[in-house]
Amino acid sequence: MNFSGKVPILLGVLASLCAGWIGFPRVIYKSRPQPVEFSHPIHARKAGMLCVDCHAPREDGTYAGVPPLSQCAGCHTANLGPTAAEKNFIAEYVKTRREPQWAVYARQPESVWFSHTSHIRIAKLPCERCHGDQASSDQPRPYQEDRISGYSRDIWGYKGANHSRRVGASKDEFMVVPGMKMDDCIDCHRQEGLEHSCLDCHK
Amino acid sequence: MQNTRRNLLKFIGGAAAGAVFTPVPWRLITDTALWSENWPGIPRPLRGEVTARYTNCSLCPAGCAVRARCVGGQPVSLAGVAGHPLSRGGLCAFGVAGHHLPYHPARLTQGRVEAAAGALSKAVANCNVEGSRKQLAANLDASKAALMAACNPGESVAVLDLRPGRTASWTYRRAMGAVHNGLYLTAGGPFSGAAANPLAEKARKSWLAGESACPTEAQALAQQRGTDAFVCEPTRGSDRHHDGVSSGPGGVASGGVAVDLTKPRTVLSLGAPVLDGWGTPGNVLAARANFRLIQAEALESRTASLADLWLRIRPGSGSTLALGLAALLDAHIAQAVTVADAAAATGLTEQQIKDLAAELTSHGPALVLPGYDCPEAWALNQLTGAWGETVVARQEAPVPEHWKNCAPVTDLAAVPDGAIRTLIIDESAPGDYVPWNAIRRKLVADNPVVITFGWTPDGYGRHSLFVLPTAVYPETLEDIPAAIDSPAAVFRMAVPLVAAPPGVVNPADFVARAVGIDASNALRERADAIRKAGHGVLFSSADGTSRPAAQVPPDDFWKALLEGACWMDTEGRRSAPPAIDMTGPEARPSEDARLPLVAVLAETALATVPPSPLMTKLHQESNLRLGRSRAALHPETARSCGSAEGGRAVLETSLGRCEILVVVDSSVPPGVVQVAAAPEAIDICGAFARCRVAFL
Amino acid sequence: MISEKKPGKISRYGMSVDIDKCTGCGACMIACAVENNVPPAQEGATDLTGLTWMRVFKVDNGQEYPAKQSVYFPMMCQHCGLETPCYLVCPQQAVDVDPATGIVGQIPGRCLGCRYCMAACPYHARYFNWWDPKWPAGMEKTLNPNVAPRMRGVVEKCNFCHGRWHAAVQRAAEAGLKEIQPGDYVPACVEACPAGAIQFGDLNDPSSAPSKAAKDPQSFRLLVKLGTEPKVYYHSRREWARRIGDPSQAPDGKETSHG
Repeated sequence: MNFSGKVPILLGVLASLCAGWIGFPRVIYKSRPQPVEFSHPIHARKAGMLCVDCHAPREDGTYAGVPPLSQCAGCHTANLGPTAAEKNFIAEYVKTRREPQWAVYARQPESVWFSHTSHIRIAKLPCERCHGDQASSDQPRPYQEDRISGYSRDIWGYKGANHSRRVGASKDEFMVVPGMKMDDCIDCHRQEGLEHSCLDCHK
Repeated sequence: MQNTRRNLLKFIGGAAAGAVFTPVPWRLITDTALWSENWPGIPRPLRGEVTARYTNCSLCPAGCAVRARCVGGQPVSLAGVAGHPLSRGGLCAFGVAGHHLPYHPARLTQGRVEAAAGALSKAVANCNVEGSRKQLAANLDASKAALMAACNPGESVAVLDLRPGRTASWTYRRAMGAVHNGLYLTAGGPFSGAAANPLAEKARKSWLAGESACPTEAQALAQQRGTDAFVCEPTRGSDRHHDGVSSGPGGVASGGVAVDLTKPRTVLSLGAPVLDGWGTPGNVLAARANFRLIQAEALESRTASLADLWLRIRPGSGSTLALGLAALLDAHIAQAVTVADAAAATGLTEQQIKDLAAELTSHGPALVLPGYDCPEAWALNQLTGAWGETVVARQEAPVPEHWKNCAPVTDLAAVPDGAIRTLIIDESAPGDYVPWNAIRRKLVADNPVVITFGWTPDGYGRHSLFVLPTAVYPETLEDIPAAIDSPAAVFRMAVPLVAAPPGVVNPADFVARAVGIDASNALRERADAIRKAGHGVLFSSADGTSRPAAQVPPDDFWKALLEGACWMDTEGRRSAPPAIDMTGPEARPSEDARLPLVAVLAETALATVPPSPLMTKLHQESNLRLGRSRAALHPETARSCGSAEGGRAVLETSLGRCEILVVVDSSVPPGVVQVAAAPEAIDICGAFARCRVAFL
Repeated sequence: MISEKKPGKISRYGMSVDIDKCTGCGACMIACAVENNVPPAQEGATDLTGLTWMRVFKVDNGQEYPAKQSVYFPMMCQHCGLETPCYLVCPQQAVDVDPATGIVGQIPGRCLGCRYCMAACPYHARYFNWWDPKWPAGMEKTLNPNVAPRMRGVVEKCNFCHGRWHAAVQRAAEAGLKEIQPGDYVPACVEACPAGAIQFGDLNDPSSAPSKAAKDPQSFRLLVKLGTEPKVYYHSRREWARRIGDPSQAPDGKETSHG
């Protein structure tokens, strides 16, 4: 067998693999920072707040999601700490009463129906299960937007290679947070025997 | 390795094979699929907290209670309020989509000044809103002297109120009372100013001449009156003030007449659309099982097809039918009109009419509802003995005392021709459309000034010199007069759910300020007067509770009204209304060989107000209703005119012509054209008009 | 693929329509369009190319006056319970029959617009988006966030307002319940009808109005002999009206218009 004849082929394969696994992810995503350098640990640990203090389900079961400016302005009418980020926030948003245009990682297409209350109250899942350990993230992850589809790379912001991977048989053995795709939701639903109809998740 | 083409191709082949093992092709496929779903123009529905707000619908006098589902403060859907004592949770097709009106493409956002063709020749076409305001101020200057000086001696300034009975109506009356030549006008519906029916004239003479079965009050009133038309002219300052019953199908411009639907066992409707846009839909349908409904009408309307008995009478013969029935009940009318006359005019048999009269008098209380073309048929209820039971006098909700020193209510038809120099038409609240010629003849011949307040330019805006934009439901704060089927006085408001755009004017405020009256707080003053009167109950839509008004502190009373609550007067204030004259003008189509067909108006509910764009579901995307500018013909009639389904044609009457789209419908009798009641159609048709249809 | 473990409570949502009460006002048609983000007609749309998930027809007994009688007939997707034709023919599996509610759902994201389902539906209850939806400027603020808008080229139809079912599920979940309260889930047309002619409920619940209608001898369904087991029961005291459900017996009536 003439090995030298296969070299171009192997080089092609190698080049393609490198481009596909290393280059492509860098190119396909466009990164942008959040409008405010919000620090979850300061609010969770120092201020002693819980997730539900800002992100709460309402009485009719809908979910407040990212809080409006009025929630932040309730405390931050004046500087509460030494950071420049807070100073900027108050100057640019609180004083001018402009809503920060947060990039919502978990934004799904219009056809998707996701009920926070069902997952919190009935399935009793903790927030970290899908959104990761926000209390430890110093600043919000950069929002990585897919250039073609326009959606975020991950539910909580990409960090390294921690995509959804089921590592064990029981639901507690999910080590990392799920991704944005339908399959990621179905994985868990299938495991729980809750995969019945498109209507369960679609509007 | 050499740089040959072969090696290059091998490289590419290898790369392709390797690409399959990378995420690239799979990722590109899914991303492209997602990208293809982000189609241009995709609307993103609003997100936000879902709240409920309560108001009352002001698109018609029913004033049905509305629960608005709001997302982030923006109403996204409307529904009725279950258990409401007046509307019983009902809301019609127009009300369900009322929240679309602020975004209607025909919405007037700027004052449009239009020099009406023909009589009004003064060209001021390039004025903007500021210009028209100045012009209005020039005519109706802040000082009354200037106001009066704009008119020549003997000429008047007038306000034509198309929905009387509101608090704004009182503001107009006060404003017109403040100038010596001011007139406050209402009109009796589409058929004001129609020619008199010789048969009715005969009957009237006979009734006036002899003793009648009617109370003497009626006789005296009839003898005072010198004209054929309805006039209610209480003297200035008297307490027999106009009750402001809204004109509508069966609405009468005189004396607050209302109907109590819980009382009759038989209802005879002479063309009133009882089950389709009459009264309060929820209330009518709740009472439906209690009475036998007889509909006497030329066409198979919704009410005719759903009635217990449909009597198909010739177009325009409703009034003669009423006279024929009256002849069976009153000897003096019988001297002038006979049952044979009525049978000949309507096409019914004499026996049918006799059976009808018998049913009206022997099967328990009966109610006769006149149609558009025969408002005088209210008087038939006097002869059946149900006057005061099924038809009652309704007082208006209390009014601050100092308001009562104001201009009286004058019927448009009673104004001498050529008497009005400046006419202000309030078209901001949807009401009946009066044919333009009935109005035009009351204006001076040379350069009258007509100012219309409206939210679209397609009604009287076509004939006006100035059109000033107003807010539209659900942007308005206004009260809704009681509906025809509400025997008790009521007070409820439509409250603003969305902000009105800048540049709109409040018509009543505008007119009041022009004469120097401050009426900006009129609604609060009215509410305080109602609360002060101390009777009635307050029903709150938000929690479904009813409390006596006297137990509610005044500030809470106002606050509740601002959240859609409804004040209702309690029973015990019911009485027989003043008797009225049976005879009046009947709009009989006169014979004309050149005009072989008869045009009958249909779809009169909200005919003048463009409804939500979604109404295409009813008339364009289905055949449920007749859309504007459409007319339905029997297949034979269509063929004889040379028209076919969907063809464009011209409808011509003695008053003018308009373009229509022909629809073929075998349920329309031959020789009749069923015309959707749009302003341009009402202008030329009136009640029933002889017409012809020519294929374009 | 579908879980073997059955959903907790099996409902079969159905409707009962009293055509003697229907006045043909069209409030149900408009309420349906408001709830489900159905756009107003494009210029040039007709009754064959429009989007009327709920549509009211006028049907008469074929006689002339005075024997002529007419009835108004609201028509929507019948949510066939057995051998659902549209479900069986869809090449994209864009039709989904929910085992927990019995609702036949349309998934616009999967639909490729072949319209095979429109041909298969014996009730003509499916509608095709011939145009991209367009709302007058500003009117898109009044869209309902609980229902996804569709683009041109896909089929859509009545889905028993399952967005309201979702809302009921969320309300129940917030209260810690797994099942929704009966009466908490009411489609838009049912809520809008001023005459109360349309009732909605669970056919598996004997106390619901549709269950009772199912047993009423004066009730009928459309095209029962096709075996589709529609879940919409119509009711009329008049015999000629009950024969509308079976065209081989129906009177020689034509669809009249502009009542």
